[in-house]
Amino acid sequence: MEPGEAARLLAQTQAHSRRSLDFRAPWVSLVAAAVALVGFGIVWLNVRNQHPFTGPSPVSLVVFYGLIALRIATVIYARARARAGVSGHSVKVQREEAVVMGGVLLVWYVMLIAIASSGQHDAGFDWSLGLSGTLIVLAVLWAGRCAIHKSWREVALTVPVGLIAAVGAIAGPRGMWLVNGVGLCVLLLMIAALGNWQRRGTRTHLVRTGA
Amino acid sequence: MTAAALDPLIHVPARLQIMAALATLPDGDQLSFKRLQDMLELTPGNLITHLRKLEEAGYLATSKTGSGPASRTSVALTYDGRHALDIYATTLRGLLNGV
Repeated sequence: MEPGEAARLLAQTQAHSRRSLDFRAPWVSLVAAAVALVGFGIVWLNVRNQHPFTGPSPVSLVVFYGLIALRIATVIYARARARAGVSGHSVKVQREEAVVMGGVLLVWYVMLIAIASSGQHDAGFDWSLGLSGTLIVLAVLWAGRCAIHKSWREVALTVPVGLIAAVGAIAGPRGMWLVNGVGLCVLLLMIAALGNWQRRGTRTHLVRTGA
Repeated sequence: MTAAALDPLIHVPARLQIMAALATLPDGDQLSFKRLQDMLELTPGNLITHLRKLEEAGYLATSKTGSGPASRTSVALTYDGRHALDIYATTLRGLLNGV
């Protein structure tokens, strides 16, 4: 085997293995972008003319949470497919992280329910805290997790999520659904495009070094 | 420097692919025999032969869990294996750059 051929084989195998073991394929981001736009969009269409704001209708919430469930299902499916056959330390760590994140979210939701049932705030406050607050909590949790793993690029990706949620909160209980839907959709499309570009970049690099 | 400077144990297409694939896993992780076979598109017999050679050299470790038809063999690079692949890649770069 010539050195050039060995270099090509080494680079090609590593690139193929990384792609194969990574569940964050562009299609997963595309599904998430569609879910964000349609899910938030449906609720926005439902609440945009509410004066005073009373909150989304049960039907729009069922569709919204149904789409979120679809998003979670696609991630679980993609992850199970990509990580099939992998065992060891990182799998154990990821399980522990999932338990911690689930626990924090559970505490957050209990607190939200307690605030909403106290009846001391209007529906606008409760829904703004429930939506923008949850997105900020998720962004902070994910940033903390990625910082522990020194995945600085992923830490950087959580910043726009927090910003979108903050701008959404400023836009008010009606506008926040539109801001979050469009903002997250654009961000997820950019992530999908970046992932696709990186995959193409790897292939181009292989062709260039491929002898 | 010539191609002879490359570790002869790794400088075989199938074994280079095995080492390269396993090196993409984080330290402490293992890959099942079946998944490795699917990723590299090697026959079971061919894969076993190359895995044995790499294991004898101390470049990888295999472990078996369960028994009977449900048993599962997993493979992981050892510290020596990662080090050997690093040296191989460095030597390869040197050869391609004409050092």
